Amino acid sequence: MAVKRTAPSPPTPRPNPNPNRRAPASGADAASPSKRMLAFHFIRALARIHRSTPVPRRTRTIRRAAYSSMARAANPRRVWSRALLQQMRARRATTRRAAVLRRSVSAAPATPPGGGARSIAGEDESTTTLAALARTAAAAAPHRQAGEPARADALRRLVPGGNEMEYSNLLEETADYVRCLRAQVQLMQGLVDLFSAGR
Amino acid sequence: MSSRRPRSRASTGASRISDEQISDLVAKLQALLPEARLRSSDRMPSSRVLQETCSYIRSLHREVDDLSDRLSELLATSDVSTAQAAIIRSLLM
Repeated sequence: MAVKRTAPSPPTPRPNPNPNRRAPASGADAASPSKRMLAFHFIRALARIHRSTPVPRRTRTIRRAAYSSMARAANPRRVWSRALLQQMRARRATTRRAAVLRRSVSAAPATPPGGGARSIAGEDESTTTLAALARTAAAAAPHRQAGEPARADALRRLVPGGNEMEYSNLLEETADYVRCLRAQVQLMQGLVDLFSAGR
Repeated sequence: MSSRRPRSRASTGASRISDEQISDLVAKLQALLPEARLRSSDRMPSSRVLQETCSYIRSLHREVDDLSDRLSELLATSDVSTAQAAIIRSLLM
């Protein structure tokens, strides 16, 4: 039976950073992210944050690290993980002021992209980024397929990279995104428990 | 969507995913929802599944925010080396 859609392939075994680590007792579901890789990326980021980030900015940085490590540990063929990493990179590249402006521009999709962005932004680089982002937001077709329910629009906004996907793909990506999000939350909850107990 | 389409997926041009595949995917999403076990195994309408999934994703985002906040507090105050040892131990087992 010819399958037009490529089914999500099970994640290839990644190089084990710790050779002493035993294989997980319960067989990891092929579709869910490797919990070890998730922990590896996130804890490494946490250690770096603990060393170098000033305390007032930590919550934000930890939150960003959570999404970055989640995207890094995920299957790179997933649209959402690539989109999330792109978002993170774009956010790091622009100044904080430009990030605030970007949020206000994308929150009002009715604003004409060129005029709105140019009148607010000062730097050239952020103007291009803002204009491009606004254009993408305004031009994204909310209903890709005729049979797609209206709720899919909200889902597209929640899942990274959701605007460009076909409906069936959106459903698949959402499932993967939810699984990874849940694993990330479980990891963070486990860390909070560990830190609390270790006092 | 009134015409019945064959289940051929090798069509050129616009890729037609069958309705059955779509409802399979929606069922998978429904299974991921937190109260999936409480609900009956009957399928919810897909609009409801999408709605519940949206609120579930939003609540997960909120949890990430909240846990980031608590982690930043704990990082600052707790004895990090003890916690690090505990983490490494838990990862190894």
